[in-house]
Amino acid sequence: MRECLSIHIGQAGIQIGDACWELYCLEHGIQPNSVVLDRQQDQLENAKMEHTNASFDTFFCETRAGKHVPRALFVDLEPTVIDGIRTGQHRSLFHPEQLLSGKEDAANNYARGRYSVGSEVIDLVLERTRKLAEQCGGLQGFLIFRSFGGGTGSGFTSLLMERLTGEYSRKTKLEFSVYPAPRISTAVVEPYNSVLTTHSTTEHTDCTFMVDNEAVYDICHRKLGVECPSHASINRLVVQVVSSITASLRFEGPLNVDLIEFQTNLVPYPRIHFPMTAFAPIVSADKAYHEQFSVSDITTACFESSNQLVKCNPRLGKYMACCLLYRGDVVPKEVNAAIAATKSRHSVQFVDWCPTGFKVGINNWPPMVMPGGDLAKVHRSICMLSNTTAIVEAWARLDHKFDLMYAKRAFLHWYLREGMEEAEFLEAREDLAALERDYEEVGQSF
Amino acid sequence: MSDTLTADVIGRRVEVNGEHATVRFAGVVPPVAGPWLGVEWDNPERGKHDGSHEGTVYFKCRHPTGGSFIRPNKVNFGTDFLTAIKNRYVLEDGPEEDRKEQIVTIGNKPVETIVNCSCSGIKNNYFYVFYIRKVDLSKNLLSSWDEVIHIADQLRHLEVLNVSENKLKFPSGSVLTGTLSALKVLVLNQTGITWAEVLRCAAGCPGLEELYLESNNIFISERPTDVLQTVKLLDLSSNQLIDENQLYLIAHLPRLEQLILSDTGISSLHFPDAGIGCKTSMFPSLKYLVVNDNQISQWSFFNELEKLPSLQALSCLRNPLTKEDKEAETARLLIIASIGQLKTLNKCEILPEERRRAELDYRKAFGNEWKQAGGHKDPEKNRLSEEFLTAHPRYQFLCLKYGAPEDWELKTQQPLMLKNQLLTLKIKYPHQLDQKVLEKQLPGSMTIQKVKGLLSRLLKVPVSDLLLSYESPKKPGREIELENDLKSLQFYSVENGDCLLVRW
Repeated sequence: MRECLSIHIGQAGIQIGDACWELYCLEHGIQPNSVVLDRQQDQLENAKMEHTNASFDTFFCETRAGKHVPRALFVDLEPTVIDGIRTGQHRSLFHPEQLLSGKEDAANNYARGRYSVGSEVIDLVLERTRKLAEQCGGLQGFLIFRSFGGGTGSGFTSLLMERLTGEYSRKTKLEFSVYPAPRISTAVVEPYNSVLTTHSTTEHTDCTFMVDNEAVYDICHRKLGVECPSHASINRLVVQVVSSITASLRFEGPLNVDLIEFQTNLVPYPRIHFPMTAFAPIVSADKAYHEQFSVSDITTACFESSNQLVKCNPRLGKYMACCLLYRGDVVPKEVNAAIAATKSRHSVQFVDWCPTGFKVGINNWPPMVMPGGDLAKVHRSICMLSNTTAIVEAWARLDHKFDLMYAKRAFLHWYLREGMEEAEFLEAREDLAALERDYEEVGQSF
Repeated sequence: MSDTLTADVIGRRVEVNGEHATVRFAGVVPPVAGPWLGVEWDNPERGKHDGSHEGTVYFKCRHPTGGSFIRPNKVNFGTDFLTAIKNRYVLEDGPEEDRKEQIVTIGNKPVETIVNCSCSGIKNNYFYVFYIRKVDLSKNLLSSWDEVIHIADQLRHLEVLNVSENKLKFPSGSVLTGTLSALKVLVLNQTGITWAEVLRCAAGCPGLEELYLESNNIFISERPTDVLQTVKLLDLSSNQLIDENQLYLIAHLPRLEQLILSDTGISSLHFPDAGIGCKTSMFPSLKYLVVNDNQISQWSFFNELEKLPSLQALSCLRNPLTKEDKEAETARLLIIASIGQLKTLNKCEILPEERRRAELDYRKAFGNEWKQAGGHKDPEKNRLSEEFLTAHPRYQFLCLKYGAPEDWELKTQQPLMLKNQLLTLKIKYPHQLDQKVLEKQLPGSMTIQKVKGLLSRLLKVPVSDLLLSYESPKKPGREIELENDLKSLQFYSVENGDCLLVRW
């Protein structure tokens, strides 16, 4: 019951997915060959394992042979990245049918991902999704991992989301999106892709958690002492957040948070569904045990901009809702005290119309880190998902870049060639402008 | 605990409004009636005096404002371990079958050890704490190592024990109470422990794998002989008294894989038992060395690290040598080239491409020095000076790998100053043999028209009458006409040492 299907789209989605399932396997004691690690320790351990087998189920499917296969799908329009998984460390974890690749890629072009190349692959993807969904007793929803700026991540995702809404209308769909970094860009046409995909996916997604490469890069560089952070370091940090968000789905805990609960508690209006993520404590492995982090320490830390995974300034906006997901050695008494302290701080401003803005989740399973990684193992951690009006800054930046390029119709012909029309661009831009206005409106006082 | 006039209260750790202190005195302080406790604060500025009042010295403090007198009822002595666990996790008495928590963190709750745990018959209450694997007792009110052992003894499966920030009194005798057989990780940061005490405590932990001793002002005084032999990770950060000579004392720990020496003030390392290009016998298993925030300012440091047999990863941030942002890139390449087996530097993997680039850069950068020190392509003629070999121990190896640096690679770029761009030219007058041959320095970008103008003023001949050509010693006999006035000398490839021929 309560199963979740993860769909990883495009290079970003697939690389995050790789790190993500590696971490899940570590947390559940699953070996790279899908077998659960047989712990030959005292009885209490075994009792514990039996108890948690039920929770495995949400993310892993147990086959008759005793193997645990992830409930995931990896999709890309070109084969190189997926081949990396097919030949990588975890190749025996996944069934070959879960790794789907096309032959011609989207070339950073939303139109190709959505119309020309994407439309050839979509039916196969939906078929596989159906198969995975049939294996579930009570599918809760989908978790989609993708980037905004890439061709597959933007175009193919919007196509997929539309079709998923058609087939599975009552299932939750949550997204983990890599937002284009303000100063580091990987593609010139990122703004186009991002605006177009946001316009077409907004009505089909229930909640989109955003992560931005620049913010994570800065964290790795400043806090973790990594001189030149690679995508591997960045992804390892991002999956800690993903793991925290899905922890209550995978482990029993005193205060669980379901997928639907995220929606209910974080999304005040259907279109205002872009929470910002933050994580604490972020400690370098070289400084393990140097400092003790109490519950109130980590709660305060996640309101600092240096712990955020998106570059925006929450002090310039107001919080509409806040979800605090604690992991590890955390007791409710301390959490209540920490939250009370936060509410009394002036720097954390809530909108007038939301007096109790906090949702708390507690899971006692300790956070784990990948061996040989940059993070130190800590006793407790917190992941904060906050819906703040300050995120409109991110949209404004994107829209501005879009406007600059669109004014000159630069690079537009690549999209028009694949069958898109200028009208779609205008529509998308209008939609984003409306989104910005919506954010401003909710942030206003009575 | 209100009975405070017993002598055993002296030395106990207490807490008052978040500040920790040690009890140094208990008794009466005239003229004010009633019992008083004299405490020495951890924070030396918290107190009012140094233990004396109106002339009488009641106790001694290390600092003139380190002490205070406090009423016993204002002071918190803490609770015992079991009570602290119960209070935090709100547990019921009696055994629980479904004990999931393995970590017990009593981070900020004052805990003092039980004095009556086993003898008052509450052994069975230990059932649910029996399986605890990790205990974090940092920042508590434990006052001695014996108390820690008292707690830990009951926890047969204890693997991780953290007692940081407790000012502990360590046993002075060599006999230790209790053995922590399952203990793998011991954290003693900021406990004021000395090296001798570390060794004594470690004697009770035969399987110890990780030992954290940050900020203890440790001075390594003796070589561990039977203890610490299983230790894989040793954290000695922020112990400013450590210097490289003390490191020799821990150099023979057989399993030591990770050594953290951040913020210790270290500026150099030497392995005298190994010559240039040889491996030392010290630190045989050391894979990862952390030397951030130190005083390393000599490149020879990295040459010494090259001697370590197993080194794979190094973190060397925020040292004087690597501090400048502009030079960070060059510093990184130089470090990579100096230590051949390094796979990870500052937590970034060194890809084969980067290593190749670094080594080629190194070879080129020191090529001239190599030549001057006697280096030569031909192995027969190669006689390098001792000095060069000490400063660049890997250079020979790099020459073997990539070939000796060629001359054209080593030509240094002349700085772009005007005087470097001037051509020294001779000026001859073939028709006027009695005129002296002049030598002039002219910029290559000078146009022929301007040259003619210069010569015209010199020779008092009108410009329009002048005919210029030049000849080069490289091509004797050939004369090249400079007929286009608007072109420059450079255009005609006039070079240094050529000769201008002027006719009119």
